[in-house]
Amino acid sequence: MTSSAPQLSEQHQAGRALSRPSPAAHKKDSAAPMTTTHLTDVTPTKIAILGAGRGGTALLDLLHQIPAIEIIGIADCNPEASGLQRARELRVPVAAHIAELIQNHGVQLILDVTGDPSLGAILRRQARPEADVLSGSASRMLWELVQHESTLQAELLHAEKLAGIGSFAAGIAHDINNPLQLILGLAENLEDETDLKTVHAQAADIIAAVKRTTAICRDLTSYARRSASQNHSLVPLNARLDEALKIARYAVGFHDIDIAKQYTPDAAASGHPDELLHVFVNLITNAIQAMSDGGTLTLRTTIEPDRATIQVSDTGCGIPSDLFNAIFEPFFTTKPPGKGTGLGLYNIRHVIHQMHGTIAVASDVGIGSTFTVTLPRTAQT
Amino acid sequence: MAEFKSGFFVGGDACNGRILVVDDEPDIRKVVKMTLQKAGYDVLEAENGEKAIEAINSGENRLLLDVMVCDIRMPKVNGIEAIAYFRQNYPRVPLIVLTGFPDTDMATSLLRQGVVDYLVKPVEGDKLKAAVARAMEQRELAPL
Repeated sequence: MTSSAPQLSEQHQAGRALSRPSPAAHKKDSAAPMTTTHLTDVTPTKIAILGAGRGGTALLDLLHQIPAIEIIGIADCNPEASGLQRARELRVPVAAHIAELIQNHGVQLILDVTGDPSLGAILRRQARPEADVLSGSASRMLWELVQHESTLQAELLHAEKLAGIGSFAAGIAHDINNPLQLILGLAENLEDETDLKTVHAQAADIIAAVKRTTAICRDLTSYARRSASQNHSLVPLNARLDEALKIARYAVGFHDIDIAKQYTPDAAASGHPDELLHVFVNLITNAIQAMSDGGTLTLRTTIEPDRATIQVSDTGCGIPSDLFNAIFEPFFTTKPPGKGTGLGLYNIRHVIHQMHGTIAVASDVGIGSTFTVTLPRTAQT
Repeated sequence: MAEFKSGFFVGGDACNGRILVVDDEPDIRKVVKMTLQKAGYDVLEAENGEKAIEAINSGENRLLLDVMVCDIRMPKVNGIEAIAYFRQNYPRVPLIVLTGFPDTDMATSLLRQGVVDYLVKPVEGDKLKAAVARAMEQRELAPL
């Protein structure tokens, strides 16, 4: 398993926005890249984005996911605009001058989100006549729609998280009722226990059991709460993975699972702490569910000068390569009705993109799967 | 020994019967064992279904094990699998489920398979002892 190939494959493909990554194509023994006929059959609309501030970045993030759209370029008079960096990450061409972009032969639709009223005249003068232009109040409305979509995504993320917590019921009951059984049994014994040493020992056992029970509630309430802030910070990855491991145990039984931690000390990345926890819980839960007959869960963190990589690997059933795209699509699930929302990986990919990261899968049927998340090590402006 | 009801003698000890307690949590085994021992039972422990099957198949347990008290969620061989094995191979041994997760469908299905009681943790000592006493009445002695 190579650690960087799946990640590279996504960056390579993302700009074309035609298909999801096909890491198998980069792996040692699989030569043929995957084909996704339902996506490649579409002739995409060629779009140019003018303005790479908040509006342009949001449009970029949204539109590059849509197969029917190809972003042929983005331009901004400010070379430091955040959207230009995001475009480079997504391999979307960054045009040095607006004129160069709007005169591009292929462009069918120009989205002007600069908010600069003087640009209207330039567009009327210089844009090719066959290109439609969306500007002024129309592009403001588009910006509102994108904002709205982003709110919906956040709601969806939270709803999916809460739906997932439903599957914790068995694990929570197990972890609360076992200490309660201990507490009850010991307390009943203490009623007529005369040996002082035993009384002390059992009272200590009761206190420890109560603390265990309260820890469960604390873990889960902090996990279930809605993310208050959208601010990114430097997240310690190893500690976050350990925490996710603890929470995933409520969702799935870890029976007959060996856990291998291959942590790089002090691995940290820029991201949203609560959402990363959610991502890790999801990936770990999926990995455990893929190993119904037991196996090894490997959690690995690595750092490079500009980015950190988190890998979650299982030795489970594997994913056929023709499903590598589909697993990231909404409502895709292999679980029986009522057992999975089919939104897990879809949401994960969305939040990872929001954190300027990437996610990719490599898998062999019958051998196992590895999900690789790559995040920047320093905050993206 | 606290009380002596309709017990019999095993290796010289007065005993109300031999119980196998199967649970992956050592704390649970400890506390259930404590409760049952105070009621005069001889208690064996197993940490999962696999160990429970090993226990019933070893030495005199084949003949002398009276009741199994079994958890459901356990590694290796879980409670469901262990119960199926016991029903198939040792139908004379009454089975009591003691689980942390109340699941009506599972309870119904297990009771249909011949499990005599389905107890949800935390269970009071008196209730556990009453369930074991009822199970003891239902047991059939092994053919000699």
